[in-house]
Amino acid sequence: MNLLPFWALSGEARELGLVVGVLIGFGFGFVLERAGFGRANKLAGQFYGTDMTVLKVMFGAIVTAMLGTVVLSGMGLMDLRAVADYATSSTFLWPMIIGGFALGAGFIVSGYCPGTSMVAMASGKWDGLMAVIGVIIGQVAWTSVEHVPAIARLQNASDLGHVYLYDLLHLPSRVGPAVVALAVSAMAIGAFIGAQKIQEIVRRKDALPADTGSPSTARLVFAGFAAFAMVGMATMAIPTGSAASQKQAGALTPMQLARRVLDEPWKVRVIDVRPLAECAAARVPGSECVPSADLGRLSLTDANGARELILVGGAGAAGVPAAAAGYPGRISLLAGGFPAWASFALTPPEAPASGAGPEALESYRLRAGIAAAMTGVKSAPPPPLPVGDSGAPKKKGGGGGCGG
Amino acid sequence: MERDPDKFWNPYLAGVALGLVLLASISVMGVGLGASGASLRMGVATLGALAPGLVERSPGLAKAWNHGHPFDFWLSFEVLGVLLGGFVGAYTSGRLKAETLRGPSFPKGKRLLFALVGGIIMGAAARVTRGCTSGQALSGGALMSVGAWAFMFSVFAGGYATAWFVRKEWR
Repeated sequence: MNLLPFWALSGEARELGLVVGVLIGFGFGFVLERAGFGRANKLAGQFYGTDMTVLKVMFGAIVTAMLGTVVLSGMGLMDLRAVADYATSSTFLWPMIIGGFALGAGFIVSGYCPGTSMVAMASGKWDGLMAVIGVIIGQVAWTSVEHVPAIARLQNASDLGHVYLYDLLHLPSRVGPAVVALAVSAMAIGAFIGAQKIQEIVRRKDALPADTGSPSTARLVFAGFAAFAMVGMATMAIPTGSAASQKQAGALTPMQLARRVLDEPWKVRVIDVRPLAECAAARVPGSECVPSADLGRLSLTDANGARELILVGGAGAAGVPAAAAGYPGRISLLAGGFPAWASFALTPPEAPASGAGPEALESYRLRAGIAAAMTGVKSAPPPPLPVGDSGAPKKKGGGGGCGG
Repeated sequence: MERDPDKFWNPYLAGVALGLVLLASISVMGVGLGASGASLRMGVATLGALAPGLVERSPGLAKAWNHGHPFDFWLSFEVLGVLLGGFVGAYTSGRLKAETLRGPSFPKGKRLLFALVGGIIMGAAARVTRGCTSGQALSGGALMSVGAWAFMFSVFAGGYATAWFVRKEWR
């Protein structure tokens, strides 16, 4: 579903990706400004009960995006967990609670959060500029002491890994996100109504004019949330894989498999169906060892079909096993099975003759690179790996894109 | 477009609009929105230009420094967009004005100092929490990360707990 994963930005999509980045940022900044988030007094009003805009906008945005991802995922267009594993950081429970408390204190002292301070700066506010400078100083100062053992211990305490609200409920993967999204939508609407009541009481007490929010707009938005939450629930009834499984499984060459595994590992699920001992000895990086007799245990028919399922068999690849045929997404077989992979990716290529043309050199460089990446053995000269770097998700533990 | 600095979008509609921007970011780019991460890159780049020795002495800073040029980073471009979007939004709404926002009887210099100090606290805290209100609360919250939700409630708790002490700044 992700048209332009940002860590592929070093590839040919780079310029387009950066333009999209600017456009998305433009939308972010423009909406924040129009919501009033470029003004410290309006933001601070949240913490004195006079103006609940922060809560309404934040929860409204979260519910909207949550319902959107749940519906897309329910329709099989997105693998929610795979996307979330890349886009969010893992949960470090205590650092997030303690750091969150400190960030909230900084918020009311400065009048902005890091994102809104940039909007305030762009709209000419001196206090916004000071907050932006402060955030830079704070980030650099803290990063410079992060290696101190005591601080590192605090910062990396209680690492729970990637854990989501639907994991806490122990619901099946197809049901959990929709149930959580419905519950969060209901909670948000409750919070909106409660916040509005508090705001009215406080403003009356402070003799401030009543807020001119249109109740019909609020009702319209609430109804929209309810409708989309229902759509999210309804996607659970979409039969998985009925149409998709009719498709013929495609065949992949070892080259195509190497490209997928190196460039876009998040888009594939590689399952090695050879006997366990053979798979344990050597396998395609990132592949799962599940002998074909045990495939039924993966309940592939009920799995989310967003990732391409690639089956790696022995020499005589015998077509798609019945247990995998019901997989809702695309299914591919590695042509020639694992032996073809071993001779392609695990064997360094013959060096081309001295008079070889540029095409032969290029293909040698590519194959040598793949063999080096797969075996960890460098053959000279080390060619550039076909993996994107710089913008890559090297951030430790993920990072919502914010602290990374 | 009429320019009324006191007129804002309906907060619920603004929330839906913000959510759609976030959804676009998640589904097109595969990442959420962010803000503070770009600050670190900019800060380290500035420090590295002024005092490279300082950067090299700290493993954390050196890592960010070796990460590449600050503009070789998607968040930097996203933040450039935020600045442009904020500017255009402020210009078209009549809110583009050089001023210092504060409570009616709070001195200007003190307000600027508070903004700086609050910013420093937030910058440090956003490292501990792996993201600020944009990257963690909004993006992580929408993707139902447990840590993001704990963070979000904690931010509100921290804000309410501190608000009384700085009430003169705003009221």
